[in-house]
Amino acid sequence: MSAPSDNMPIASAAARPKPLLLRHLPYFVGAAILVALSASMQFDGYILNILLQATTFAIAVFGLSVVLGLCGQINLAQAAFFGFGAYAVGIGTTDLHLSYWLCLAGGCVIALAAGAFLGMSTLRLGGHYLAMVTISFQQIVTLVMINDIALTHGPDGVSNIGRPALFPTSQGYLGFCVAMLAIVGYLVWHLPDTRLGRAMRAVRDNELAAGVNGIDIFRTKVYAFALCAALGGLAGGLFAGGFAYVSPDQFSFAESIVFLTMSLLGGVASPIGSAIGTGLLILIPEWLRFLKSIPGLYLAIYGLFVILIIRFMPDGIWGFVSAGLARLRAKAKTPPAAATLQLKPATVGGDIVLEVTGLAKYFGGLKAVDGVDIQVKRGGVHALIGPNGSGKTTTLNVLSGLYKATSGRIVLDGTDITNMPPHLRTAAGLGRTFQNIRLFRSMTALENVEIGAERPGNTLIKQGGDAALTERAMEALTFVGLGSRANELISSFSYGHQRLIEIARALAANPTLLLLDEPAAGLNSTEKLELHELLKRIAAQGLTILIIDHDMTLVSEAAQHITVLNFGRRIADGESMAVLRHPDVVSAYLGTE
Amino acid sequence: MKLTRRDFTAGIVAGILAPHIISSARAQGATLKIGMCAPVTGPAAESGGYAVKGAKLALDAVNKAGGVMGKQLELIVEDDQTTNPGIVLAFSKLAANPDIVGFLGSIRSTQVHAMAPDVLKLGKPVMIGGTDPNLTHMGNQWLFRCRPNDSYSGRVIAEFGVNTLGKKKWAVLHSTDAFGTAGGKALTEALTKLGSAPTLDQGYANQSQDFTPVVLAIKQSGADILGSYFTFENDLGIFGRQLRQLGVNIPWVGSPSITNITALKLAGPALYGTYGVADYAEDSSDGSKAFGKIYRDAVKVAPDNQSSWTFDAINVLSGAIKTANSTDPGKIREAILATKKFPGAEGEYNFDQNGDGLHGYNVVKNDKGNIVFDKHIEFND
Amino acid sequence: MMDIVLQLLFTGIGIGAVYALVALGFVLIFRATNVVNFAQGEFSMVAAYLMVVFSVDLGWPYWLSFLLALGGMALLGVIFNLGVYYPLRHRTFLPVIIATIGASILMANSVLAIYGPQPQVLQGWFDTPGLQLGPVYLDSQYLLIIAVTIALVIFNYWFFERTMLGKKLQATSQDKEMASLLGISVSTMIMITFIYSAVLGGLAGILVAPVLFVSIQMGSTIALKAFAATIIGGFGDVAGAIIGGLALGVIETFGAAYISVPYKDGFAFLVLIFFLVFRPQGIFGERVAEKA
Repeated sequence: MSAPSDNMPIASAAARPKPLLLRHLPYFVGAAILVALSASMQFDGYILNILLQATTFAIAVFGLSVVLGLCGQINLAQAAFFGFGAYAVGIGTTDLHLSYWLCLAGGCVIALAAGAFLGMSTLRLGGHYLAMVTISFQQIVTLVMINDIALTHGPDGVSNIGRPALFPTSQGYLGFCVAMLAIVGYLVWHLPDTRLGRAMRAVRDNELAAGVNGIDIFRTKVYAFALCAALGGLAGGLFAGGFAYVSPDQFSFAESIVFLTMSLLGGVASPIGSAIGTGLLILIPEWLRFLKSIPGLYLAIYGLFVILIIRFMPDGIWGFVSAGLARLRAKAKTPPAAATLQLKPATVGGDIVLEVTGLAKYFGGLKAVDGVDIQVKRGGVHALIGPNGSGKTTTLNVLSGLYKATSGRIVLDGTDITNMPPHLRTAAGLGRTFQNIRLFRSMTALENVEIGAERPGNTLIKQGGDAALTERAMEALTFVGLGSRANELISSFSYGHQRLIEIARALAANPTLLLLDEPAAGLNSTEKLELHELLKRIAAQGLTILIIDHDMTLVSEAAQHITVLNFGRRIADGESMAVLRHPDVVSAYLGTE
Repeated sequence: MKLTRRDFTAGIVAGILAPHIISSARAQGATLKIGMCAPVTGPAAESGGYAVKGAKLALDAVNKAGGVMGKQLELIVEDDQTTNPGIVLAFSKLAANPDIVGFLGSIRSTQVHAMAPDVLKLGKPVMIGGTDPNLTHMGNQWLFRCRPNDSYSGRVIAEFGVNTLGKKKWAVLHSTDAFGTAGGKALTEALTKLGSAPTLDQGYANQSQDFTPVVLAIKQSGADILGSYFTFENDLGIFGRQLRQLGVNIPWVGSPSITNITALKLAGPALYGTYGVADYAEDSSDGSKAFGKIYRDAVKVAPDNQSSWTFDAINVLSGAIKTANSTDPGKIREAILATKKFPGAEGEYNFDQNGDGLHGYNVVKNDKGNIVFDKHIEFND
Repeated sequence: MMDIVLQLLFTGIGIGAVYALVALGFVLIFRATNVVNFAQGEFSMVAAYLMVVFSVDLGWPYWLSFLLALGGMALLGVIFNLGVYYPLRHRTFLPVIIATIGASILMANSVLAIYGPQPQVLQGWFDTPGLQLGPVYLDSQYLLIIAVTIALVIFNYWFFERTMLGKKLQATSQDKEMASLLGISVSTMIMITFIYSAVLGGLAGILVAPVLFVSIQMGSTIALKAFAATIIGGFGDVAGAIIGGLALGVIETFGAAYISVPYKDGFAFLVLIFFLVFRPQGIFGERVAEKA
């Protein structure tokens, strides 16, 4: 590697990117054409109704692409949110005589609040359980819609729903809906590249790693649910204005399943996929009308079709198509060269970066960690070792916040972090890597490291804009030697290199203390030597490292200070060479005669 | 471009699979077309089948007698999937066909509500079977009802129970969907006017698997007569059986579903001795007897109100076109409204200015599984 | 007062036993494959239709039709596994859920296309419709359902805890990799699980058809509640499914009688939400920790 120099400018950086709006101009032009076409082309009533249904449903499905595709959380209540928006417009314009725009906005707000509320259940639940909560929510909403006649007119539904005075004709209204679709589509298209979008993708790919890299998992999920619901509400409000009549049977669990199927068939993570899925699932029953003479036949074919698509096109139709296109596209572009990585760990507290006193973690009757004291001095490498089952990883997990300590105190650089959730500890300056590598598999190496760089409280990313993030991430990747491959997906890296990317991710955040959980696991001897070199370079910049490992060579050569655990207790602590010769330590590993 | 290719594809396959589409293509232009939205799929698929049968029987008879205005009648059916968006799409597909002069709509009131805006926009006559009274009182001049609406069914049940059977302590049981709620409300209002406000007003959700709490509530209320509005025959069957198992044998007057073939099959002996208000009762008039014979000869089972109203709808519509001697919607409308003393399967049609053709119901009794006509109660206000 | 409570209790347990039977099928498949089978209700529906075809349309003796119907369900279980689950077994749970939903639509509408939409009547096992025990009426078919549920609980316990095959099935459901390393054929175990679940679902359908009538929708109305019951009981646990089903039936029935009939279906979901928020592992389930 060339000699570092603080004065070296960022060589041959890519030309400054064009302003955002200009780059996306083709999209807006295309959208404008589409809107003009839909407003002016003469459609008969049938086509108009199909397009209206497809457009409004697509917006609802975009919502699903956010919560499910981007954030990985299942939501089987989208029809309920659709219904909130529809009823807001319905009841608002007919009973309350409010303006359409007010009702539409009101519907979105109500749906958003309901979505956030439902999202709060993710604090405790995921997977099938979350699915059941959303189903229950949906069923209860449907029951209220049917039975609370005073509010919703019950099963009679609401008719004569108004339209905005600006778009009284069906044609004009369709144009308006298509315009909304284009706007929402643009937002959803670019959400993955925003900070929130990245956070959602990280949560989807690897929740634990996301938390440890500074992302507030719970808040991200709540935002995802809220956004999904708001889009559902918007879609419902547009739907009500379009069809002028709504009734509870249109917002039942069966409809939620329809939305979900549309999302999955098209391709769950992309708005294009959502649009394709929606279009197909509305048009196919229409195409198959001729099969209606035998009751049930076309629905049976529809069911078969669903199974086949799920089986043969796992990423949905758009996923299938875009994967094919990606193979045809040129290789990933080479990233710009970067400056040297700066690590300026905070130096608030005194000599001791990490003070752990009386730490205990009990699992029922099992005392995994039983009264451990550790003091990590600033600068240099401190190792935590012990035979299997001694409580090392548990200690690390308690330190990083994945487990809650049963008792004891943890002070990081003067701040008491004992009761903080993982993302706040990261904000306080803690970084960590995992024993079984936890990278975000759907992203490139650069994107993974960018998420690390994005941690709140990172003083080294200047104003925090996208360019600064990329710059910092590139620096970190170059520091570990993988700068030239920044734009490749994680899956194309070897195990050893993935380990390095994880370390880069932690470094990009400019932590005060770096926890490394068995970094040498799975590495061959050459890779171990490179790791040792890397650790030395990190320590040279003043960053404190706390490392757990079994490789005694690495530990004895890299660490200046060692703490030894056995059966959850500290049995030795001090300068490396002395500790390794300590009789208690030797007998713990090798047994006594 | 998309439109043409889709029509082309559908046309090819339809031509291979569905002979009646081929024959209609041959006869294009030489027929008078009537459009029909019916549930071919979805929960109401069964009733949809009967509805189409009834309409076809009337159509064949009209054609055999020479057609209308010198042309044969042709029925074009579109599936409404028993859903609201479904009937909107089905109707708008039919509406796009300029050759269609009149339509048959749904027996389900929410579906009629859903398609009503498009009906208003199109401005052609639509014959409906939905019984929500609002449908003919909401300013839509193109809806014509070929069944008596629920304000009449409620009044007839009340009138019969209070004045003929002499029972004053009522339990009113109704489903919580649109039909049940409106019917229950109509019955309660009618009873209150007769001075017998119900002691129990109980709603239930469709597709309940168990009615024990409801039966116990009826028992506890001390009611000596039960009036009911059931939508689905499964629920009727389960409820009826449990009612008898728990020893409740008070007189029972129910909405038309209690007289349907399916209900009789499912509930069996539980419904013996019950009364129903039926817009269609085979022995109630010459018109109904005639329809009964035609239907049995063709389909081999007894008809019910799923098919009788569509039979009448075709006859009223084609009769009006004949009278008006024109396919102009306004003229057809006037001719329908002028239809008086028209003997249909459902009874004698006297259209009022709102578009309601019938103003009374038949009361029938379930005599050991046979539906026997008891009396007709008509309201002239 | 007391007789009303007793009557409600009997009915609640009766309908609860139906939920429990269907829930059992859910739980078995979930334990083996970690997948929720949204088509479980349709298994019940298909079996009921098979019974109608054999015993009513073809007029064959009841017991023979019963055996043939269950045999048909075993075959359906095989087809379901090969067609729906097995090709997707390495994917995350969501595609599999959607595939099972597609399968439920396919099954329901195939039956509709073949048989038509009219609901059918199926005779119960006994000729007497029920017996009056003091103030309480005991519907004989419900008695049979309760008896069969008890018998199945005992059978399941014996099968899973006392036979080699049962233990192998348990091992597969707890740790597929380990089981296969021990020489257990995982794919065979999964096939057996699907066959057993389909037969169980079919049994539930045949037992409940005389009470609820045979219709295309009969499966789906019960299945969702049965699913709720499995969570209440504890999702991985067989005893939990039974207790959860019974509890749900009783809660619903009493809720309908004393709180609100139209909102009856809502109780199931309110209880479910309560459990999910405060005790997601259900009454009997165990917490599953994730290894960092």
